[in-house]
Amino acid sequence: MALTDIEYMALEDCVGPENITREPAILDTYNQCWGHKAVFDQKFSTRPAAVVLPGSAKECQAVIRVCNRYHIRFKPFSSGFEIISLALENEKSILLDLKRMDRIIEIDVKNMHAVVEPYVNIYRLQREAINYGLTVGSIGAGPSAGVIAGSCCHFGAGTTMVSTGGLGRNVLGVEWILPTGEIFLTGSAETGAGWFSADGPGPSMRGILRGRSGANGGHGIISKVSVKLYPWHGSPDLKFEAEPGRPPSAKCLTQVPEMYKTFVILFQSQDQMFEALSRIGRAELASALMGALMFPYGEGNDEQWQAIQEMREAGMNFTEVASKGVALVIGAETKRGLEYREKCLLKIAEEMGGHPLPLPPSEQARFFSAATWHFGFVTAAFRRTGDFFVSPTGDGSPDMMLNLRKEAERLLQPYMDKGLLQQLGTAEMFLIPSEHSSVGFHEENVSFYDPWDADSLQALREVAQASEDPNGDFRRFGVPHLGGGLQVEFKSHVHQNWGPIYDHYDVWLRKIRDMLDPNDVGDWSGYIPAIFP
Amino acid sequence: MELKDFEHDMQRCSRCSYCKWIPYENQQNMDFIKGCPSAARYNFHAYAASGKWNMSYSFLQGRIDYSDAFQDAVYRCQMCGNCDVSCKVVQDIEPLEHMQTLRMKFVEDGQILPEHMLFIDNLKKEDNMMLAKKADRGKWAEGIRVKNLNKEKAKVAYRAGCRYAYDDELWPIVRGGLQILLDAGVDVGIWGDEEVCCGGRSYQWGYTGEIMKYAEHTMEALKAAGVEILVNPCSDCYQAYKVLYDKIGRKLDVEVLHITEYLHRLIKDGTIEFTKEVPMTVTYHDPCHLGRLAEPWVHWKGKEVKVMGQMICHEPPKKYRRGANGVYDIPREILKSIPGLKLVEMHRIRESAWCCGAGGGVKEAYPEFATWTAAERLKEARSVGAGAMATACGWCKRNFLDAMEEGADRIEIYDIIELIQKAM
Amino acid sequence: MMLNEGLVKIAGGHNVLDSPDILNDYSGDMSFAARTRPRCLVRPGSAKEVQEIVKWANEENVPLLPISSGPPHFRGDTVPRVGGTVLVDLTRMKKIIRVDQRNRVAMVEPGVSFDELQTELAKEGLSAYMPLCPRKSKSVLTSILEREPITMPAHHWDCTDPFLCGEIIFGTGDVLRSGEAAGPDSTEEKWKIGNYQITPFGLSQFDENKLVSGAQGTIGILTWATMKCRMASSFSKTFLVSSENVAQLFDLMYPLLRSRQCDHCFILNDLNLASLLAKDADEIRSLRESLPAWVLVVSFEGNGELPEEKVAWQEGDLREMALRAGQLRPVTTLSGLNTEELSAVLSKPSDEPYWKLRYKGGCGEIFFLTTLDKTPDFIQAASGLASSRRYPSTDMGVYIQPVVQGTSCHCEFDLFYDPANKSETGKVKDLLSEGVAHLADMGAFFSRPYGTWAKTVYGRAAVSSTMQKQVKQIFDPNNVLNPGQLCF
Repeated sequence: MALTDIEYMALEDCVGPENITREPAILDTYNQCWGHKAVFDQKFSTRPAAVVLPGSAKECQAVIRVCNRYHIRFKPFSSGFEIISLALENEKSILLDLKRMDRIIEIDVKNMHAVVEPYVNIYRLQREAINYGLTVGSIGAGPSAGVIAGSCCHFGAGTTMVSTGGLGRNVLGVEWILPTGEIFLTGSAETGAGWFSADGPGPSMRGILRGRSGANGGHGIISKVSVKLYPWHGSPDLKFEAEPGRPPSAKCLTQVPEMYKTFVILFQSQDQMFEALSRIGRAELASALMGALMFPYGEGNDEQWQAIQEMREAGMNFTEVASKGVALVIGAETKRGLEYREKCLLKIAEEMGGHPLPLPPSEQARFFSAATWHFGFVTAAFRRTGDFFVSPTGDGSPDMMLNLRKEAERLLQPYMDKGLLQQLGTAEMFLIPSEHSSVGFHEENVSFYDPWDADSLQALREVAQASEDPNGDFRRFGVPHLGGGLQVEFKSHVHQNWGPIYDHYDVWLRKIRDMLDPNDVGDWSGYIPAIFP
Repeated sequence: MELKDFEHDMQRCSRCSYCKWIPYENQQNMDFIKGCPSAARYNFHAYAASGKWNMSYSFLQGRIDYSDAFQDAVYRCQMCGNCDVSCKVVQDIEPLEHMQTLRMKFVEDGQILPEHMLFIDNLKKEDNMMLAKKADRGKWAEGIRVKNLNKEKAKVAYRAGCRYAYDDELWPIVRGGLQILLDAGVDVGIWGDEEVCCGGRSYQWGYTGEIMKYAEHTMEALKAAGVEILVNPCSDCYQAYKVLYDKIGRKLDVEVLHITEYLHRLIKDGTIEFTKEVPMTVTYHDPCHLGRLAEPWVHWKGKEVKVMGQMICHEPPKKYRRGANGVYDIPREILKSIPGLKLVEMHRIRESAWCCGAGGGVKEAYPEFATWTAAERLKEARSVGAGAMATACGWCKRNFLDAMEEGADRIEIYDIIELIQKAM
Repeated sequence: MMLNEGLVKIAGGHNVLDSPDILNDYSGDMSFAARTRPRCLVRPGSAKEVQEIVKWANEENVPLLPISSGPPHFRGDTVPRVGGTVLVDLTRMKKIIRVDQRNRVAMVEPGVSFDELQTELAKEGLSAYMPLCPRKSKSVLTSILEREPITMPAHHWDCTDPFLCGEIIFGTGDVLRSGEAAGPDSTEEKWKIGNYQITPFGLSQFDENKLVSGAQGTIGILTWATMKCRMASSFSKTFLVSSENVAQLFDLMYPLLRSRQCDHCFILNDLNLASLLAKDADEIRSLRESLPAWVLVVSFEGNGELPEEKVAWQEGDLREMALRAGQLRPVTTLSGLNTEELSAVLSKPSDEPYWKLRYKGGCGEIFFLTTLDKTPDFIQAASGLASSRRYPSTDMGVYIQPVVQGTSCHCEFDLFYDPANKSETGKVKDLLSEGVAHLADMGAFFSRPYGTWAKTVYGRAAVSSTMQKQVKQIFDPNNVLNPGQLCF
């Protein structure tokens, strides 16, 4: 349903004519994203009625007020790189592209936080912050992921969670434009004290901002966030190089930065690996940690395939390493700190039956880049087969995550064996002891499929349905993480399915949504509807 | 290729938006990380390469038709290829080739920019892209005693190109290049009035007829003149002859060089000697058509195959052009060899160089966008403390000069030829 | 008793107390909150009973006020705001349900004190993250729910740490177990698949933990909570770094916090340090004479894989940092003080009498969040205010505790006074209200507004107030939980 001229002009008045469009050609560049084929059975999600580019919180507020006045649904996004970040529930909806709001407002070096706008991506903030010996946690979506998107709006976890935490734990304040159009500064920001605490006075309103997952643009616009920063021990001068004639994808750090070291440790069993990771967490050793994906990325798939074959011929067992290997980065302020951490790590590895693989400096640097900035993750996710899917996921103790892993392997392995998902020997896994395992492990099981191959797509849908079936084998591992387009339906609504078995959380979530959005103008396709369809 | 041939690539664009930025591996200064002038200037996703994928796919699916908005997003683009380099860091798809094919489709279906039509009409009549007369094409060389390739044979053919031929403010450069060759004793000739356009720029705009015509003509002219080496001071022409002609199946039977490549040889073998100091701090702007777009064409014929279940590969393996093999080092080596000259690099260089703004028909149809793009580059040049910027393309220099006329940051702009002359 | 028949049916007659003496005791506390008699005290013994009480309260429209800690109470949070309030005394619920050494987590009921918990944890080689020497009767669950700062900022990742999961009974009487505690299995069944209730992220797209944190029982009552624990130390090395100028200590504290490699890390002024260590007023006076004005306490806990080497590394780094910070000297003895003694004090709740009462018998607290670099301004302002009221600023204890890994800090002024001295008492009372307003104007963030602070604080947080009221409407629409508290 298109907007009437009056509605359109009201929006235009908010941002200026050059910052709004309802041209179909442009609108259809806002409804095509990865994962859509699996969810919508075509590349397109709903075409927005208009796309608006606000340049400030004030403009956002004005737009939202128009939406309330004319009952137009809206959804904000920054990079738009999340499976459901552009999906709209109905046609009388607009997308707010926050590209113009791209300032780093401040980096408070002493008090270790940064305040940024929506279009600031994680890598940009990281590279600015390392000039001051600081960095920010990153997420698996890679360098282009928005700081606000990752910390406030989406489920997003990353390899740095071992030392930086994640899943909303780093938010120290937000400027939140509610679906009513009111601007809400949380915590100390509202009182004018600064951007150091989002919590209070009294109960923390971060409780309605997000949980394990964010609202995926469904409850207003986060126009600023203050996020925690973490120590960066290396030099700010980072040079990525490749041999002459090689493209940027071949570039890597020439070496692991001073004051960091990278290891890939192969264990003899998954049980031992999980236990070792627990100990590594308790000892607070790692800066970043990921599964040991030994596949070289290669310039392209053909190069990667050739390298894989060569490595296999040379005796590399990818299955073994992928399922029982861990790559981790340790860092410290001083040499003695680094030595201590290395000694601890090797002690744990030895006692847990793990042995560090000998890695040339180039490989150490590659793992460092991957673990610290998620370089290569986007390549892995999309270039290989066309698309990827993350499910099942979980957060919990290593025992529980090991159980989850075993169930996930049972689910995914047959499809891989049949070649319907990419055959990596074992399902690719993302496993991180969050906050030095003080809050358990975070686990993601990843499938790589070709959405334009009917059999592969069908396999993926079966995997998704099985892992998201509230009566299935994964029902005890937590509510699905809601970053995978679940609400935009493989079946019926995820909250409708899972709420009744998870303490009726859906009832409270719905009430929170109703409270925040009394006029029902926030797009709920990544959140919870006012009424289940 | 047809637009439909890119359907698989359209489907596979994940919307990662890497096309808007230079590769993360290349990012150094966070104030200069944008790669796509169109996306930077016009903000809507349609203006990025990913947006072009989306529009094409939507068009093929019958969801949209031609429109001003569609055309605007397609043509407000310098076709600089930065997006192509960035996309191919993470994907095996062909954004630039797709955008080329999309333009060809627009032209084929009559969706032509009136501004472009002016130039194309003149091209057809006068064999140049400068709205000028063919008869005036040779004036740049007046007074230089040099072989006439229309009548004589020479080992080396020196082509001015349309910009240099008609932009008299730039004549000292094109004349200088020729003079250096002559003074070095090179057996060189020119075609003067009979020189024709390479067809490269019109091809970029989506017009395929002209390039084929000029290719045929050039092949004959080179053969008739017994030329072994074709030297171009203009990067656009260089890229057309070296890459586009090969692409369209008209690979020239001569060695195609940019003037810097040839001069580099003469410097290396001592024929050219530098006797004077040029005390300057200079930064170098990589012209798109000498850099990433000049990577040799790769012919491939084969099919997609799947390995490891679903991983998409090719049989035979397909070598993608990812921008690494353009001419980047030679101009730099020349600059570094000039006594007294200090080279400082900008933040976006080599395959990630920010476009000067002149390409893709933008200078002709959207001059304000062209100079805006140039102004961004000038800002970057100033930011690294350079007193001057060197380049190796007449279109680049012209656009930088025009931008400064309109108020952009000022800096001295030199073609490498001019700096060589200063040092001789 | 007829009045409370419903409660008697739920908890048993011997668990519903309404004698005048008891009601009188609970009508007030050591704060300056207005005295209000409760209706009665009910002491449930299980979550089921708590839930029934809440449902009863909704039916009968009776306000409830949950209490978990024993006296003395300081902050007015256990004093009813409205007449007819039923105090829900959770101290009967004293089980330490589970201690898990491997995952460093403990599950406790509300009535468990730090003393009790530490004893159990020690058996498993664990220790609690504690606030600074809490009183013996302090409920662990209340402390973590109220976001009391712990003394180990490097381990304080988020404001709600060390709180992980909990069973919440909302004001509606509905139960929700937070985070991974929710789900199709009972708590005990979850343990069988390795679900030990250790992830604090919130259940789905909202975070129920955050909503009940800092809420003073106005959103829900917790009947158990899991909390992070740390590995017990086989030994501990504590250092003191002194300065007459508090700001100078920040030059060391900031790099320490940034590196995340310290354990205990906080600053006390001479009075507060003396109060912690000395037994009575005379000792305090004597000890503080020999102490420097400001002391930074830093410890490194010997635990984990290579305890000695860990501490050696951290000590080495500390000394280098101290040198760079203007020749500061970390020492293990200071003015006769031995840091081993201090370390022992920090490892357990306060001995009796509670350390804040030793100096003068009474203590009024002002505390808020700010950033470390701004604390000198607040210290100066507080001293100035005190002087203007002729309250000796030398009777003011100061405690600066970095929180959330040093991104902000808890700044606390302890105004000691003799409760029997009317004049002193009056001054402190005035200072507390005036001080809060003045400091808030300067940018102090009162994230935990107790008693009379609430009005001042919420006056500066209008939108938060509106939002919280709306949230309250969801979880406690009949406003039975602690009405009159905060902004409700």
